[in-house]
Amino acid sequence: MKLFIENRGTHWHCGLLDGPCQTQDLDALVSDPAHGAIAQFFGVVRNHNEGLEASAVDYDVHPELALKAMSELCADICSEYPVRLLLIHSRGLVRVGEASVVIAASSAHRKDALSAVSDTIDQLKVRVPIWKKEIGPDDEQRWLDGYSLRKD
Amino acid sequence: MTQIHVHCLGVFREIGDGFDVDVPSNSVDAIRGAVAEHLLRLGRADLNDVLKRSVFAEGDELLKDHMVVESSAVSVLPPVAGG
Repeated sequence: MKLFIENRGTHWHCGLLDGPCQTQDLDALVSDPAHGAIAQFFGVVRNHNEGLEASAVDYDVHPELALKAMSELCADICSEYPVRLLLIHSRGLVRVGEASVVIAASSAHRKDALSAVSDTIDQLKVRVPIWKKEIGPDDEQRWLDGYSLRKD
Repeated sequence: MTQIHVHCLGVFREIGDGFDVDVPSNSVDAIRGAVAEHLLRLGRADLNDVLKRSVFAEGDELLKDHMVVESSAVSVLPPVAGG
């Protein structure tokens, strides 16, 4: 995948790319001969939301802030679980059936990899400055509400 | 008065990629107030509820309302919805 911005830690790699994420061969990016489990999650654009049809989602991103938040998130996950972790998110247009986010984690045993992937997607949704504009079949557009980053 | 450029993200892009506001001080609180007035002038008071749940950032730093902006540009970040 051609990332336009990325960052790496000792056990993690995160970044952003334009357009949909590839979902093939992610296991190789987190593989480790000491790890017996690899878990993956693909967030895929679906054709409906809140009762309305959708044909695509246009993702808006603050690249520097998003990369910083993704890096902090990956570091937090890797401090909680003994995993190797990959986190990639899209910017721009992603059509129905295409992946907008991919997460992969490997660990010695399955529970850590599965928990790391689950926690990563949960935390991404509330911590990373990314916004969704849903596009309908007749090109109608609406921004989706989300989680406030405001702390005061 | 100081002029601050506000870079729009998410739903705020409906009013453009950015705009300038004049503020009496460089506090985030003052900028938030000026943005609210700007939305009213544009006839987009409907975005004020989102503004109340938004956070401002300078570069890659999230700002609290009591903080002071050092540069002449900030970003306004509505509630996030990645994934």
